Amino acid sequence: MNSMKTGIFFIILVFSAVLAASLFLGPSVINPFAMDGTTKVILFSIRAPRVVVAVLMGTALGASGAVLQGILRNPLADPYILGISSGAALAAASGIVLGLSVFGTFTIPVLAFIGAIVTGGIVGILGWRRGGLWPERLLLAGVGLSFLFSALLMLLLSLSTTEGLRRATLWIFGDLSMSDWSIMPYGLLFVAGGLAVSLWRAKALNALILGDELTHSLGFSPHRERFLLFVAVGLMTAASVALGGMIGFIGLLVPHIARFFLGSDNRFLVPASAVLGGALLCVADLIGRSLIPPMELPAGIITAIIGAPYFLYLLRKKNVLSF
Amino acid sequence: MFKWSVTAMIIFIFLFPVPCRAKTPERIISLAPNMTEMLFALGLGDRVVGVTSFCDYPPEARKKPRVGGMSNPSLEAVVSLKPDIVVMTTDGNQKAFEERLRSLHLKTYVSRARRIRDLAKGIRDLGAALGVREKADRLAADYKARLERIEALKPAGPKKKVLFIVWPDPLIAAGPGTVIDDAIKIAGGINLAGRSIAEYPKYSLEAILRDPPDLIVIGPDMREQDSGSIRKLARGLLSRLRTLPVVKNHKVFYVSDDLYRLGPRTIRGIEELRRVMDE
Repeated sequence: MNSMKTGIFFIILVFSAVLAASLFLGPSVINPFAMDGTTKVILFSIRAPRVVVAVLMGTALGASGAVLQGILRNPLADPYILGISSGAALAAASGIVLGLSVFGTFTIPVLAFIGAIVTGGIVGILGWRRGGLWPERLLLAGVGLSFLFSALLMLLLSLSTTEGLRRATLWIFGDLSMSDWSIMPYGLLFVAGGLAVSLWRAKALNALILGDELTHSLGFSPHRERFLLFVAVGLMTAASVALGGMIGFIGLLVPHIARFFLGSDNRFLVPASAVLGGALLCVADLIGRSLIPPMELPAGIITAIIGAPYFLYLLRKKNVLSF
Repeated sequence: MFKWSVTAMIIFIFLFPVPCRAKTPERIISLAPNMTEMLFALGLGDRVVGVTSFCDYPPEARKKPRVGGMSNPSLEAVVSLKPDIVVMTTDGNQKAFEERLRSLHLKTYVSRARRIRDLAKGIRDLGAALGVREKADRLAADYKARLERIEALKPAGPKKKVLFIVWPDPLIAAGPGTVIDDAIKIAGGINLAGRSIAEYPKYSLEAILRDPPDLIVIGPDMREQDSGSIRKLARGLLSRLRTLPVVKNHKVFYVSDDLYRLGPRTIRGIEELRRVMDE
C-alpha cells in the first residue's frame, strides 16, 4: 500500500511539472515573477486555455480508450473506432461548407458535438440486441459507420472547389492553437461527468473483461454496465472532438502504456490512462508550439511521434502484454 | 506485306501528325485559374474550350466547360474536347498528368512562373507559344511599368511589418516563397511571417503578441464575393489580439483575392496592398 501511495504521489508530481512546463516554457520562457502586460495576456488567455484544453482532451481520450478496450474486450479499440470522430468531423465540415453560424462562435464545436453524439447514438442502436449492447456488434457498427462518414467527408471535400475549405478542415485534424476559455465549462462538464462514471464503474469494468457470465456471478448486470460505460465514453469522446478536433494515438496506446506499469486493474488503469493522456498531450502541444516558432506544428502529430517509439520500446522490453 | 505496310503507315500518320506550326491554336484548355486569367487577358478567351472548376475569373470563364479540378482533372474530359494545346502550370498541376497528355500526343504548354519576378517573362513566353506575342509583350510592358511605379515610390517612414492572414481559425499566414510575400516586399513592407519554414505556416498567436505587426491584412474566403464570412471568422481572432495597437487603431484590412493568383490581377493586388499600407 505504501508503494501505491508513493506511486500516486509521483504521478501527481510529474503531472504538476508538466503543467508548469506547459505554462511557463514555450516559444518564449515566462518568468511568473516579472510579467508585463503582453506576457500576462500570453499566459492567461493563450497558454492557460490551451493547456487546459490539452489536459481535458488527453484525459478524455486516455480514459475512453481504457474503458473501451475493456467493454469491447479488444486491445485495438480506441475512442475513434466507434465512428464518433468521423461523425463529428462530417458535421463540422458540413457546417463550414454551408457557412452555418447558428450557435455564434460556438457553431463548429457545437456541430461537432452534436455529430459525435448522434453517431454514438446510432452505433448504440445498431449494437443493441436482446436488451443490451454487444461488444462485437458495437465494434462492427462503429467501423461501418466510420467508413461511411469518412467517405461522405471526402465527397464533401472533393466537391468543394475552395482552398479555404481545405484549410478550415485543418480544424478537424487536431488544433489547439485557438483554444479559449469560453467553451471550457461545457468541455469540463462532459469530460468530468464521463470520467466520474468510468471510475465509479471501474470494478464492473474489471468484471466485464472476464466475460458476461462471470460478470453476472460477480453481481453486476453486464448490459447495464456496458450501457453506462458506453455513454460515458461517448460523452468524453464527443467533448474532446468538439474541443480540438481529432488527436490520434492517445486513445489507443496510452492505456497500453499504463497497462505495462500497472497491470489490468481498471480501478488504477482508467485514472492512470487519463492522467497520462492529459500529460502526453500537454507535452506534445508544448513541443509543437516551441520547436520552430513562429510556426506551430499540430499536437496530434507530435503525440504519435514521441508516443509510438516509446510504446514500441516498452513492447520489446517488457515481456507481458496482459490484457 | 503490302497490307501491313499500309496499316503501319496509317498508324504512323495518326500517331505522329506533322507538327503544324499554326499561328494561334483554335482550341485551348486551361488547367489552372491563373492561366485562364492570362488567356483571357491575352484576348484568347473565345478560344478557351475547357477550364477547371477553380477557374472563376473573369466571369466569362465560368461559362466554359469544366474538366475537373487542378490536381485531378479528368483525362477523358480533356481529350474529348480535342484541344490544340493544354495550358498548365508547375504550381498546382501534376507533372504526371502532363506526361500522360503528351503520351496521347496532345500539345502542352507548362508555365514555370511561380513568383512575381517571373510574371513578365511568363506572360511573354505564353504569348509567344500561343501566337499572340505582340499583345503579350504589351501586357508585360504595362505590368512592368506599374511595378516600377510602385517600387519607385518608397513609403515614408520605417518599413511596416505586415501580417497577411489567409485563414483566421486556425490562424494560417502567408509565409516565404509565396506571391503574397513578394507583394509585401515590393510594396515596401516586411512580411512578419516571412521567416517561417513553410509557405503557409500555422502561425503562433503568442508570436503575434510578442512581435506585433503594424498592419494586419486578411484575405477573402474564395467562395464569396464579399468578405462577410471571413469577417465573422476573424472576429474571434481579433478579439484575442484586442490589446495590440494594430487592432485598437483599426489597422486591420480586408482585401480582395487579387494576390491569390499569379496573373494579370496580381499587379492590382500589389497596388491595393500598398494603398492599405499607406492608410
